[in-house]
Amino acid sequence: MARAPSDGSKPYYQIVREVLSANVANGNLPIGTRLLTTAVADRLGVSRPPVKRALELLAADGVVTALSSQGYVVGAATGETSPERTNLHRLQLDLPPELGDNLGQARWERIFEAVEAEILNSIPFGTFQISESLIGEHFDVSRTVVRDVLSRLDARGLIVKDRTSHWIAGPLSARMLDDAHEIRRLIEPGALASAMPLLAEGFLSEGRSTVASALARSAALSVEEVDAIELELHVDTLDALRNRRLAGAVRLQQVSLVINRLFATYIGLHDEIEMLREHALVYDHMLLGDADGTIAAMRHHLDADHARSRARLKVLSVFDAAEIAPYLIRIH
Amino acid sequence: MPSPPKLRVIGRSEVLPRPVLEQAAADLPFDIEFELIDSVKGLQRVVSSPETFDVYHQWHTVDLIWTARAVQAIDLSRIDHADLIRGQALGRQGDGRTMGSVFNQLFLQPSGALGSTPTDRIVMLPLLHGVDAFAYLPSVIREFDDGTPNSWGWLLDPRLAGRVAIMSDPVLGMIEAALAVEAAEGIRIADVGNLSVEEIDIIIDILLRRKKLGHFKTIWGNYRECARSMQRGVVLQSMFSPALAMLRSQGIPVVSAVPREGYRGWHVDLCISSAAKGARLDAAYAYLNWWMNGKGGAVTTRQGYYFAQPELVRPHLSAAEWDYWYAGKPAATALSDPLGQPAIAPGEIREGGSYFERMSRVRVWNAFMDEHTYLVRRWREFLEA
Repeated sequence: MARAPSDGSKPYYQIVREVLSANVANGNLPIGTRLLTTAVADRLGVSRPPVKRALELLAADGVVTALSSQGYVVGAATGETSPERTNLHRLQLDLPPELGDNLGQARWERIFEAVEAEILNSIPFGTFQISESLIGEHFDVSRTVVRDVLSRLDARGLIVKDRTSHWIAGPLSARMLDDAHEIRRLIEPGALASAMPLLAEGFLSEGRSTVASALARSAALSVEEVDAIELELHVDTLDALRNRRLAGAVRLQQVSLVINRLFATYIGLHDEIEMLREHALVYDHMLLGDADGTIAAMRHHLDADHARSRARLKVLSVFDAAEIAPYLIRIH
Repeated sequence: MPSPPKLRVIGRSEVLPRPVLEQAAADLPFDIEFELIDSVKGLQRVVSSPETFDVYHQWHTVDLIWTARAVQAIDLSRIDHADLIRGQALGRQGDGRTMGSVFNQLFLQPSGALGSTPTDRIVMLPLLHGVDAFAYLPSVIREFDDGTPNSWGWLLDPRLAGRVAIMSDPVLGMIEAALAVEAAEGIRIADVGNLSVEEIDIIIDILLRRKKLGHFKTIWGNYRECARSMQRGVVLQSMFSPALAMLRSQGIPVVSAVPREGYRGWHVDLCISSAAKGARLDAAYAYLNWWMNGKGGAVTTRQGYYFAQPELVRPHLSAAEWDYWYAGKPAATALSDPLGQPAIAPGEIREGGSYFERMSRVRVWNAFMDEHTYLVRRWREFLEA
């Protein structure tokens, strides 16, 4: 949720196109391999429409050739040899994280995070109507999948249906920040303390030294550097938790990370010294194995951060401009 | 010797009438480029591009521009009559209501936060302040029983439907709408200067309904539009005092209300860009000190604004002007507006009385509320309805 929308917002047909193209180029998909839409979709764990579109584009690029019978073949079809019927699951392919380890992951989950991030990046600037059909087009997925995503965003409290049954997101109120903070300060410090003994060796000392060198630097930090420091303490630590429901519950309340990143992007970075000092304090307690101290230091950090993000939300409120996803339509 | 830089100043048109621009340009040894921006675009510029201006005439945005570090702290040792500011701050400590909005967050504290304890650095130079209320034509009074006290509720009174206007500014407009809803609908609002999400919803829903019923004839953006709307059939509306002066100089007998619920207070102050340094910073301080000579404040007195240190403008006002604007006495002679047009007839008394009487009746100060994001979006819904 706190990550900037990057590849998450790239249309699936584009990802599929790039993946197939790369795997043809490095020989994982040998010349002459027959590619049927259904088989490729099954191998990559995506739906058929993006694969169909990707194969059409690859055919236009000359990477694959359409067969008169059915499907495509890698390379140029000579007509002499019949294309090989290969079980694609037996081929070692290089797959990006979007496609790689998601066997069994429901389709909605892949889109959920991207849509959620886009909504959070937009609602500090206004109220938006969400177009079901444009989400479907953007990600190349069916109405059913889109509805699944939206109903989960509804349950998450991020969107509501208006009287005319349109999905509406925003505006982000200070109340929403307050509510998220109230929950977050109750659960995140404890979650961090639970994760503490489970963290990989060196994780804490690395995190602490990143903060120390950031504090020692006279030059301003970049938005990406600050983002990385925030994610290390607030997101990566939770990966160690065995209780995934707890980790998920904490992540849902980290709205202020979004506000802080938007502020840094639109206004600039200021005063990160206090944030860094608070992080350092949390790390120091963790390095000593002091769970109670960790909890107290984290709670102090969250409270201070809440005050900062509330003030920053006010500044953001005077702006209209935001790069918004094509499926979000500003209404106010 | 290199020529001194041009000083770039951003402010609203109300605060910088032509005689002020001319006087400052004549008195200061460098060129000044005034940009008068009445919309939120001025604030957007200030917050996101501090390198494009040197001085900003802020109003109710100081917490915001400080959060964005768009302005730098002002060194009081470089400000003329700084002792007056410190003295005022000390004299007002513990009194959060009177001028609290100016002094509560004026001084940069050692912690880096803003506070009321005097230090050597301030975030803005207090400049002008005043109180606003709605205004009406004398015919309006006939709609109400004799002796009915002025009330913000009149803005929503069905008897005036189709002849009322309010302003488009979300911050000020929402505060006035809150005062009106409270008075007209009997709804208790906890803090008019810091509305909750629920209160914003209640108020906007009422405004939306009234707008659809045709209650508001127009919604104005700046003092010129404000004056024009009253020339075109509006009988009661939000009012800025420069528009009042303008209308009166045109012979339109506008009455400025003294609402029983109290006034909406405001202040305008000077801020220096965080990017100003070297010769530009020197010029910025020179501009601030030009205001501290009281000449500019004397001009804006004639449109009803109070200067932060009234004793500094007094030498630049006639006795009759001082008595009318500050002392609340009847005008001994005819008085002019900032442009020299007659605006006040002999014998007139300012509505609400003297400086102290009027300032002590502030019910709420202009403020960016905690729920500003939410407020603006719902306000826009009202404007676009």
